[in-house]
Amino acid sequence: MRDLSAYSVDHGIEIASPNMLGASVKRVEDPRLIGGHGRYVTDVERPGMLHATFVRSPEAHALIRAVDTTAARELPGVVAVFTGEDLREATSAIRADAGYPTWQTSARPILAVDRVRFVGEPMAMVVAVDRYVAEDAASLVMLDLESLPPIMTVDQGLAPDVEPFHDGWETGCYVTRSKESGDVDGLFAQADHTLKLRMTTQRYAAVPMEGRAVVAELDPHDEVLTIWDSTQVPHLARTGISQHLGHPEHRVRIIAPDVGGGFGLKCMVFPEEIAIPFAARALRRPVKWVEDRVENLTASAHARDARDDLEIAFNDDGELLALKAHVVIDSGAYSVWPYTASMELGTAVNQMPGPYRFRAYRGEGAAVATNKTPHGPFRGVSRVAATFALERVVDEVARFLDMDPIELRKRNLIRSDEFPWESPGGYVFDSGSYIESLEKLAEMSDVAELRRRQRDLREQGRYIGIGVSCFNEQTAHSFAEYAERGTPVVVGYDKAHVRMDADGKVTVFVDTHAQGQGHETSYAQLVAAQLSIPFEDVRVSFGDTETAPAGMGTFASRSMAMGGGSIQLATRDLKAKLVRLAAHMLEASPEDVELREGMFFPAGAPARSVSVREIARMVHLQSNKLPPGEDPLLETSYSYRGDPGTGTFPNCAQLVVVDVDPDTGKVTLLDYFVVEDCGPVINPMLVEGQIHGGVAQGIGGALFEHSLYDEESGQPLATTFLDYLMPGATDVPDIRLEHLYTPSPWTPGGVKGAAEAGTTGSPAAIANAVADALRGFGDVLVDELPLTPERVYAHILAARAAQATPATPDPR
Amino acid sequence: MREIEITVNGERRREAVEDRRLLLDFIREDLCLTGTHAGCEHGACGACTVLLDGQAVRSCLMFAAQADGSELTTIEGVGSYPDRLHPVQEGFWEEHGLQCGYCTPGMIMASIDLLAENPSPSDEEIRERLAGNICRCTGYVNIVRAVHHAAAAGREDQS
Ligand code: FES
Ligand code: FES
Repeated sequence: MRDLSAYSVDHGIEIASPNMLGASVKRVEDPRLIGGHGRYVTDVERPGMLHATFVRSPEAHALIRAVDTTAARELPGVVAVFTGEDLREATSAIRADAGYPTWQTSARPILAVDRVRFVGEPMAMVVAVDRYVAEDAASLVMLDLESLPPIMTVDQGLAPDVEPFHDGWETGCYVTRSKESGDVDGLFAQADHTLKLRMTTQRYAAVPMEGRAVVAELDPHDEVLTIWDSTQVPHLARTGISQHLGHPEHRVRIIAPDVGGGFGLKCMVFPEEIAIPFAARALRRPVKWVEDRVENLTASAHARDARDDLEIAFNDDGELLALKAHVVIDSGAYSVWPYTASMELGTAVNQMPGPYRFRAYRGEGAAVATNKTPHGPFRGVSRVAATFALERVVDEVARFLDMDPIELRKRNLIRSDEFPWESPGGYVFDSGSYIESLEKLAEMSDVAELRRRQRDLREQGRYIGIGVSCFNEQTAHSFAEYAERGTPVVVGYDKAHVRMDADGKVTVFVDTHAQGQGHETSYAQLVAAQLSIPFEDVRVSFGDTETAPAGMGTFASRSMAMGGGSIQLATRDLKAKLVRLAAHMLEASPEDVELREGMFFPAGAPARSVSVREIARMVHLQSNKLPPGEDPLLETSYSYRGDPGTGTFPNCAQLVVVDVDPDTGKVTLLDYFVVEDCGPVINPMLVEGQIHGGVAQGIGGALFEHSLYDEESGQPLATTFLDYLMPGATDVPDIRLEHLYTPSPWTPGGVKGAAEAGTTGSPAAIANAVADALRGFGDVLVDELPLTPERVYAHILAARAAQATPATPDPR
Repeated sequence: MREIEITVNGERRREAVEDRRLLLDFIREDLCLTGTHAGCEHGACGACTVLLDGQAVRSCLMFAAQADGSELTTIEGVGSYPDRLHPVQEGFWEEHGLQCGYCTPGMIMASIDLLAENPSPSDEEIRERLAGNICRCTGYVNIVRAVHHAAAAGREDQS
């Protein structure tokens, strides 16, 4: 066990206005957004701006014989047509390499050269006076391709004689992983029972309502390339674009204005984000590209796509002893920058033992290359599939032992007095309320009453199912995770700069971005709480690399702990200076100065006081009055690294009630309960919004969403919202939510990440509920998502024909 | 190109449009009213919803030329901060009915249309009517509450 006590530090943050925390302050973002005055990249107009569109590969795998742009160039209004050859010299191919010894590299040209590897891969870029002309011209670009057989399944990719997918490859995998802890074989030999099951989570995608969008403009005055980019990570985008474009970072400025949803999709750097600035630089005119929905569904990134073989050893009394996991990820055609194609696999292998007290664990697996859209991050990276797999298996164990699934979980969950807990997957869990959450869930949902209702309705011919999931998850992880993976960027810190002006009002500059999370509101609450100034006196600024300090940006539920952590610590330091100056003005010693409602006063003598505003005024406008040793500056910066770097672990439990239609297989959600513990909550309204939206995305993944391919031709089949089914208002039930507030011992204010729990646990809970409902028909193993009416109905038929494979553990 | 006459948020205008110009592009690019958003451009998401002669329509499924002679209301014409917010806009703000805000203008227009027809809708009626407007952020829970909030405000106005 590592000594972690050093990280449980007191950050010295004193809250002067506690009513600012835990308060559902209305969002300051909303007035502009509800009035139609949001500013998204799509809305950016520049004088003389041109419009780009991409010609994309129609084939999953082919050699490029020729790209003939003659006819396209001749169309009136077309300014330029670029091919892979044109960009080859001026840009570098994207290589996102992980540091694992088994790693095999992939090079992705900005526009394809020699070969295309998925349908949708950009091959040429047309730039014209407007989008209509650009698209007309794109249809005139002639592609001469020599088709190659595509790799469309992980089994094809894992075959020993597979053709090299990328140059120099010896196997069909980007990377393989394995780790082991404890006496796995011994415990498996000892256990009363073992059970081995395969669980499959489909390929689906983040699908923000605003797709990707880029506008780039070169300023001839100083050669600064300004890039309006719909991104979650302005500074990472600046680094990535600068590197691949060969344009120095201090002459690249990223502006990420309002961003219409991200969910992980927009924390990568894509070829289009490099191609558009390339065109703007080459043509010396502003160029705009806005992704359309077909491109978004086929050519940005997909996610999940995990096949998990789990084997679990357990005893008659319900004790879970050890776990083996073999994870295979379909990683698609290229490794994404900067997370690499090791991301889903690496974290799945670490995550798999979940919140349970397994004594031993062996995790291994492979990330396989296929001729599909590259695999990238999406809310709940690896945990969504891993939680589905593990929680399904745990439910099947309960069923085999004829135990209540909640009771089985409770006896195996890590207890709240056992933290920090070093998981056999390699994580260090900081704190949590795993058992308490489950108990609260059972209580709020009145599960006993639900079971009674279920029995009654079964008699009336209804098939009701009750499903539970519980889990913890890594959030706000910084350097440890990425250093282990050896990614091109070790995601490590976030930075804030806090400035008080002469009128005592504060502007916070921070690197993290927001795509709906409401940071302009919640971050301001953090500052107002410490400085005891009105909420309205704090403005939060981010999204422009010219003014925001550099940091990693927003993903992996890191903003409140990491960005918010840096804000809290910078504010703490600003306040320390205010206290010193107040002490000077009050002729008291700093230790004796108290702050309340924006006024400093000597302890016990509130009659003598000085306001925050008076101090600010003195510093900025009457610096002659400053005491010796104090400079005329009210600005502080803090770069928070999140030690020990392994992240903070919120936990959550969900219970869902479903109704399965025996005639159609349609699953309807009747009731949804969530207990979430993400530590102290700054703005409950915002956290609840995150849970609601997260659950909805999990419902989509559990029931409909699927980035399906035709395995023969390699063609994507879900290319519009008519075949990629997004959950709508009638698919998501009302969600009842309760909180627990276990602080992290490590982060400022004890804050944990909140954004992903809704998504992480919902496919598992829904699958368990559907499995529970299907028991009414006979032996059925729910082992694959999404649970479309077709699939569920097939289960019903199979059960009725008594042909389903029962999950039968080896009797010992 | 053809000339159309159209009343935009109460203002009469004459505009020249190309035959194939989508109403959505006309609104965003020619009228510079960028509050109306494109979410799919194939009629499936509702982000582009506007009111044409008081009826909610998807502006990505129409040509601008088809709006000739009509009265168009976009989100910009509905109300604005600080003192002219529409009750539906108030409802979305009060109940946290939006996150990234991208679907929001379309959602608000569809909700206005709903409340015009049915001033006191049930949960189910709200969900049914908004089922064609996709929101990826909110999970709809607070959108339903926002519409109820607006409906209650409307009832208060009546009494
Ligand atoms: S943009 Fe018109 S319905 Fe989606
Ligand atoms: S608020 Fe983001 S899509 Fe609805």
